Amino acid sequence: MTENVAAASTATAPAVRTRFGGRGLSVAIVVAAVVTIAGLALWGVQLSGGMAQTGMRNLDSWGLYITMFMFFVGLSAGGLIISSVPKAFGMEGFGGISKVAVWTSICCTVLAIGFVVVDLGQPFRVWELFAYSNLGSPLMWDILVLGTYLILSVVYLWATLRAEAGKVSPVALRAVSVVALVCAVLVHSVTAWIFSLQQAHDLWHTALLAPWFVSSALVCGTALVLVVVVALRRVGYLDLEQRHLTRLVKMLGAFVCVDLYFFGCDLLTEAFPGGEGVEVVEMLAVGPLAPFFWTEIVGCALAAVVCFVPRLRTNPLIVVASLLAIAGIFCKRVQLLVGGFQIPNLDYAFQANAMTVTDWQSGFAAAYQGMVYWPTPLEFGVALGVLGLGALMLCLGLRFLPLGSAGRPR
Amino acid sequence: MTRYGMVIDTKKCIGCHVCAMACKLENNLPNDVWWNRILTDNGGDVGFDMVGGSYPDNLKLGFIAMGCQHCENPACVKVCPVGATYKDSETGVVRQDYDKCIGCRMCMSACPYTGVRSFNWEEPQYHMDYAVGGKDVPVHQKHVVEKCTFCYHRISRGEEPACMHLCVGRARHWGDLDDPNSEVSQLIRDREHKQLLPERDTNPSVYYLV
Repeated sequence: MTENVAAASTATAPAVRTRFGGRGLSVAIVVAAVVTIAGLALWGVQLSGGMAQTGMRNLDSWGLYITMFMFFVGLSAGGLIISSVPKAFGMEGFGGISKVAVWTSICCTVLAIGFVVVDLGQPFRVWELFAYSNLGSPLMWDILVLGTYLILSVVYLWATLRAEAGKVSPVALRAVSVVALVCAVLVHSVTAWIFSLQQAHDLWHTALLAPWFVSSALVCGTALVLVVVVALRRVGYLDLEQRHLTRLVKMLGAFVCVDLYFFGCDLLTEAFPGGEGVEVVEMLAVGPLAPFFWTEIVGCALAAVVCFVPRLRTNPLIVVASLLAIAGIFCKRVQLLVGGFQIPNLDYAFQANAMTVTDWQSGFAAAYQGMVYWPTPLEFGVALGVLGLGALMLCLGLRFLPLGSAGRPR
Repeated sequence: MTRYGMVIDTKKCIGCHVCAMACKLENNLPNDVWWNRILTDNGGDVGFDMVGGSYPDNLKLGFIAMGCQHCENPACVKVCPVGATYKDSETGVVRQDYDKCIGCRMCMSACPYTGVRSFNWEEPQYHMDYAVGGKDVPVHQKHVVEKCTFCYHRISRGEEPACMHLCVGRARHWGDLDDPNSEVSQLIRDREHKQLLPERDTNPSVYYLV
């Protein structure tokens, strides 16, 4: 199809041009909407019946929701960084994937905000965040930066679309991409600071956490973009040369190695002086969190092998490697969150009760034998509902937004 | 400036849990909520209120009465996004505004003294169908964080915290740490003492004589 014809069809029938997907996508949209509504209902149950229905208690006061929050802030990174870095530095981009990548970023950011909201005990007081802001609180920084990030992502997507239509100059687009890039790096640092600025938990209180969050974000963000792009290319939504994919895969390999390197540095620094740090490392490597620890290490190592061995860089293996990397980073988030509560600072016995710790019935010491926290079915349900919202946004975006390769016949 | 503090004599504390009861009654605490807990220092392995170590020569049993430490440099105050937890500039008491708290539990994870902050995980329930304790105690709310207030309602009318009164061993001392002539200041000056988790740099206003 020539440019002229494409332009003409755009002018005459924009609705036809921007729609994508057949029955399958419609079914997906309906399913996602149903899951979202079910999640909302379960959230209502959580709020009316009380958060005693979750697995969280006074000594393990955060759980699945905050884990998912960390995870999705990370996932949101990749898309925006991958599409903005080439533009910001004037390098060759990754073909037509940048719009889809930014849309997945936007969906993940909404999910991250959603997970914080369902974690709140008093969600109807969120307006206070803006009325009584304590600007010294890292949580407040995160709310501000995450909000900015969401708005910027939308602006960036809009600017990319307008630039393709020739309405925004490349210079302006480049400026937007630089700002978006800075904001993306900030978002991960600030999320890390929520944890790393707390002197209360040895596992969290490390200066490495912020750069490490950025590297983890790059790993799972890139991996997510790879999965989405391979899938969309298969169903004919995107045109993409294999060399673009190969470059992305190599980058994923590099990010995975950096992330593992940071993990190694942190474990060594914790353990070397002996004392309490050894407890932290033992808890991760051979203690209750060992399954998550080894899934992360082995999964990421396998992903790196696939990324670096040319013969293994086939599409199915790329998807497997990406999924392994995403699973590995999720395991890292679980270790970080639960691990923070797994070692009590004051090692004195006291009368535990239903509000103290998740498995209090068999006594205080027994509650720390396995993982100190494990989510209840209600938490899984609410989390699934939030995920449904993200899936709904992703599918609606694919159907109604012009995110595919420009000028491609549909 | 006043900086209210408490000095607890661990040599005199017999672990009777009466101060915990006094706190629970005075503040009309809901079921399963304890702002003041008596931790057992027995070297671990055995449960609370039990003797640790080995018979007959190496037995170990001590108690640490544990409530909010009302730190001079409170980790919780810094991280609260809406200022619901704050340090009272007149008294140095770390306070909690139930009406403001959004229930994010940032303060709970920031506090190194795990367990002194408690969240009302459900609608507050009571064994008795009438309120007990001080009439000016703020009403407990669902899904907010609360903790020891140093009985702010009592000290603001010149009284001492409720946990002081029923202490059988007279192990608790209360006063102004900024006043060099106060009983608490003298005790800290004369007796060997410790603060909990000094390495966390919070400088608690609760001292333990050892």
